[in-house]
Amino acid sequence: MVTEEEIEQVAKLMKIDVHDHKEFVEKVHDMINYFDILDSAGVEDEEITMKDLPLSSLREDKHVPFEDKLIEKLNNYKGSYVRAPKMV
Amino acid sequence: MNLKISALEYVEEVKNGNVSAEDFVSATIDRIKDVDERLHAFLQVNSKAVEQARQVDKKIKSGEKVGACFGMPISIKDNICIKHSKTTCASKMLENFTAPYDATVISKLKQQDAVFVGKANMDEFAMGLTTEFSAYGPSRNPWNTDYVPGGSSGGSAVSVSAFQCVASLGSDTGGSVRNPASFCSTVGYKPTYGLISRYGLISYANSIEQIGPVTRTVKDTAFLLNILSGLDANDNTTIDNGNQDYLSEIDSGIEGKKIGIIQEMMGEGIDPAVLSATNDAVSKLEGLGATCESVSIDMVKYSVAAYYTITATEAGSNLARYDNLRYGYDFPVEGFEFNSYISKARSKFGPEVIRRMILGGFVPSSGHAGKYFLKSLKVKSKLTKEVNEAFKKYDYLVAPTVPILPFKIGEKIDDPVALFLVDINTVMSNLTGIPSISVPFATSNGLPIGMQLLAKHNDDKSLLKAARALETTVKLPEVPI
Repeated sequence: MVTEEEIEQVAKLMKIDVHDHKEFVEKVHDMINYFDILDSAGVEDEEITMKDLPLSSLREDKHVPFEDKLIEKLNNYKGSYVRAPKMV
Repeated sequence: MNLKISALEYVEEVKNGNVSAEDFVSATIDRIKDVDERLHAFLQVNSKAVEQARQVDKKIKSGEKVGACFGMPISIKDNICIKHSKTTCASKMLENFTAPYDATVISKLKQQDAVFVGKANMDEFAMGLTTEFSAYGPSRNPWNTDYVPGGSSGGSAVSVSAFQCVASLGSDTGGSVRNPASFCSTVGYKPTYGLISRYGLISYANSIEQIGPVTRTVKDTAFLLNILSGLDANDNTTIDNGNQDYLSEIDSGIEGKKIGIIQEMMGEGIDPAVLSATNDAVSKLEGLGATCESVSIDMVKYSVAAYYTITATEAGSNLARYDNLRYGYDFPVEGFEFNSYISKARSKFGPEVIRRMILGGFVPSSGHAGKYFLKSLKVKSKLTKEVNEAFKKYDYLVAPTVPILPFKIGEKIDDPVALFLVDINTVMSNLTGIPSISVPFATSNGLPIGMQLLAKHNDDKSLLKAARALETTVKLPEVPI
């Protein structure tokens, strides 16, 4: 059984700060409890299948010129530098 | 102007000179103005649509080569990028985001002279199945505006159903095209995973989501699939379909085919009207010469939990880019303490997105991954095996698209677990990658019921034949808006 404290801790680690904290935690708690149904699926011995993606199917790693100057779409930039909020 | 025609009929009308693209698109924009205040299918309407249609008419008159769409008015879900157009994902986080490039599906439609009439409303970041989680307010079902239109591609289905466009593109991660198609009585298609490029679709859960058409007829879906499918160097999950023509032989019927009726999708909680419609669909399929019998796919019971676990995990990772450094909205540039900055940035997400982010942080985390995320991947593997096994015996599978009828706006919004169960019949094809389609089939008390057909991986052409056959048996009332 998942505790509400564990959910609160995850929310804190994910830097999610919501106003009606309690309601969120309760709903997420209900959702996670529903996932307990997975325990009765009997899949413990099942292999997880993965799809191989050969390197040859990836596109060539080369520069593709972009016609627009993306930096000009920003509100805060100087020359070729982006001005981001200062963080301490 | 008759706006109720299908995409193929539209092409014929314009080709034969019976109607101009400009007049049709202009009438479509008028229709949007007329009904969208009640329906809210659109987040933005393209002010240049009529002019773009006029350019198509000029090409036709001058004898230039014209693309297969002939100026057809199409709406696009607002999580698909159209260059120089706002793409908000129905989120306040992307309120002012203008896409700098075209999604592959948009490039392909532009090459075929489609006209985009607007961006369709949706649940924020495609998380939801009612369109109530749009940060800009819900869409409403044109069959009864007190009811939800389904979601997350609710705006797409509403716009096709209410004649605000001829066709639409949505995206389907767990039923997001088929569910609103069922609730609004349109055709909704989730292709085989990889058949349509996802380049330019804003990511939610990359391993299972697909772009899919919403149309009035099955043939229109085949027409759009001919344009949209195929390999794309910008999406290495795309598959080679050998340039199949999905329209050819679409009327060849299902005589002699075997169809499995999925028992787990017709069990507890199914609305009696939906059950009765499904039994009726089975009779009609048998009447078309197919043999139908029950089949059990045991893992369906666990598929919704596995689906939410996997999608929340992928969403938790995908949404990390909305940190206001890479994507987000404009902040003043004064100093921030790091944690409070990120928290402040994320406060613009709506409640469902926040819930799924918390879930997405929790289920794959150390100490919990084995119980939730890894077990979900195992359910996905076993489900795929069971489905492949079923297709050794059957050509198609059938089940209602949604086990319940459309419900009232606000009725289930506060109960996420009740909403989970609305997805039970649709998530299987996403988890296994197989194609599936919702065909309008019946109405009950004025509310639509869609029937879902599924086929094996990359058997999209055959699936469309079966859907077309079922469609020919149906005569439905006209949408009352």
